[in-house]
Amino acid sequence: MRRLLALWEKETLALSRDVLGLAVLFLMPAAFIVVMSLALSDVFKGGAVRQTAFAIMAADPKLAERLAQSLAGDGFRAAPAPADEAAARDGVRRGTPSLVLVVPRDFERALSAPLDARNTPPELTLLTDPALPPTQLLAFRQRVLGAALGLRVSSMMRRAGISADPDAFDLKRAATLSIEAIGNSVRPSSVQQNVPAWLIFGMFFVVMPISSLFIVERREGTLARLVSLRVPFSLLLLGKVGPYFAVNLAQGALMLLAGRTLVPWFGGETLALPGRWDLLAAVTACTSFAAIGWGLLVAVCSRTLEQATVIGGVGNILAAAVGGIMVPRFVMPEAMQKLSEVSPMAWALDAFHAVILRQGGAADIAAPCAKLLALAAALLAAALWVHHRRRVLTSAQ
Amino acid sequence: MGTLNLEALSFHYPGRGETVLDKVTLAIPAGGIFGLLGPNGAGKTTLISILAGQLRGATGSISAGDETLEALRRRRPHSLGLVPQEYAFYPMLSCAENLRFFGAVQGLAGARLKERVEAAAAFARVESVLRRRAGRLSGGLKRRLNLAIGLLGQPEILLLDEPTVGVDPQSRAFLLESIRSLAGAGRTIVYTSHYMEEVEAICDRVAIIDHGRVLVSGALSDVIRDGSGLEELFMQLTHRSLRD
Repeated sequence: MRRLLALWEKETLALSRDVLGLAVLFLMPAAFIVVMSLALSDVFKGGAVRQTAFAIMAADPKLAERLAQSLAGDGFRAAPAPADEAAARDGVRRGTPSLVLVVPRDFERALSAPLDARNTPPELTLLTDPALPPTQLLAFRQRVLGAALGLRVSSMMRRAGISADPDAFDLKRAATLSIEAIGNSVRPSSVQQNVPAWLIFGMFFVVMPISSLFIVERREGTLARLVSLRVPFSLLLLGKVGPYFAVNLAQGALMLLAGRTLVPWFGGETLALPGRWDLLAAVTACTSFAAIGWGLLVAVCSRTLEQATVIGGVGNILAAAVGGIMVPRFVMPEAMQKLSEVSPMAWALDAFHAVILRQGGAADIAAPCAKLLALAAALLAAALWVHHRRRVLTSAQ
Repeated sequence: MGTLNLEALSFHYPGRGETVLDKVTLAIPAGGIFGLLGPNGAGKTTLISILAGQLRGATGSISAGDETLEALRRRRPHSLGLVPQEYAFYPMLSCAENLRFFGAVQGLAGARLKERVEAAAAFARVESVLRRRAGRLSGGLKRRLNLAIGLLGQPEILLLDEPTVGVDPQSRAFLLESIRSLAGAGRTIVYTSHYMEEVEAICDRVAIIDHGRVLVSGALSDVIRDGSGLEELFMQLTHRSLRD
């Protein structure tokens, strides 16, 4: 135990003198948290705060007004109608407005006629800005079809001599739909996605200081000297676990603090803290072990600092890209979402979300934490095996 | 501890055909300085690495007195010290931190650790730079710190692998004098160097090895009996062709 403590002390001292390395470990994830939380805030609000302008071009001003009233709301705002279709196309090309609904002259009459033998409904044209998110276009399309259906039913009832309030066919008045997110009273926000995501990314970057010091130790003959002093190689590796575990915990605390203070200070939302701190600590610990295991394997496998930088850095960026750190998994296509399940960063993110977003219990984090711990054990075993195979201490060669 | 005996020691790196050490047999008496000479790639550092326990898989035997070296090291883990040719310490730590660390991994603690750090620092004359970062020392001071670290555990066998490379004449003279005084205390010292005049100045016995084989071994006075000098003998035995 005394030797392990000496190794931890040495590693801590060496790390504390690497100011640049420490800055990368703490400032990089904090910067990503602030920037990405602000940049993606609209995406996580589901488009409700994004006001998309639309215009109605119809010969009948009353019909245009009814449609505009029916379509406005939930992120869509009515804009003045363009003078003609050429002006409408020109406006949409510039994104002002993003949508123009062109209603043909005989549209209302066509609605009141029964569907013909070929079942062709009357035609509407929607001019759209290609930069508009597909989900918003889809939502507007559904609103247009709902409004058209309301007009048709209203017309059919009039023909049947049934009087009804036209507002009764307004889609917005069809029912009151309340949406309840299960698990957390606060809706998942950009900051709640980005704090754990970039914390995990930062934690895995311990690969850099771990491998760089290890390579210096090997190059300078220090590792060989320690082996000649009968310090087992497994103990040398364990000597790196304690200090970097402490670094990872400190990263966790500081990134939560960034989510609570820095992000709101820059105008973003405040991170909602989890109810179960013990589970958060467990998830952070499991992620840390996996990150340190990865660092040890890269350290043992790399012969030079350049190799360690490439293997560790590129490996981390790939795992982050696939694992939903850089791009949230819910916006990925299904195949990519399946692929993301192989990334340890995705396991860690699942576990953090279970605690922070869904206020889950121990059962909810058991599977991802078990995977992270199994990975950590496998990486440590692989590092020992590679060392044995490559005889990394044989400076005599 | 008695004589360090190497009996038919052979070694080759796994996956490579060439034999690095070929049935090396040497007797290294206790209480003297044994000079191990050879051109680059002769197998000196491999031999030192095997003695230090860094390389495994050698055939043959190594004994220290009436027990194997391995048994001695199991019984007294710090009976052997190594001063490698690299600066085998942490450049970002201070000299004192390096000494404390290498003492602590040898099981020293508390007052005993403090005492050994002070003694080793005093012996190598690095007391005045204990607070300085090791990486910022001059070449001579780095070599002295390297020696001090090797002495922390008070080893009975000390392996010195080219300990004077890259130092100025003053530091070299100091290091040689220090090494001579260490042998006087009954230690067994194995000393490798490319500087023949150093070996002639401090070693009692020498061996010249090349291509993993012992070419000549014995008391220095016997080996250079014809008065031609060690360098002449070395060039004669190992030939003048370049090795690197």
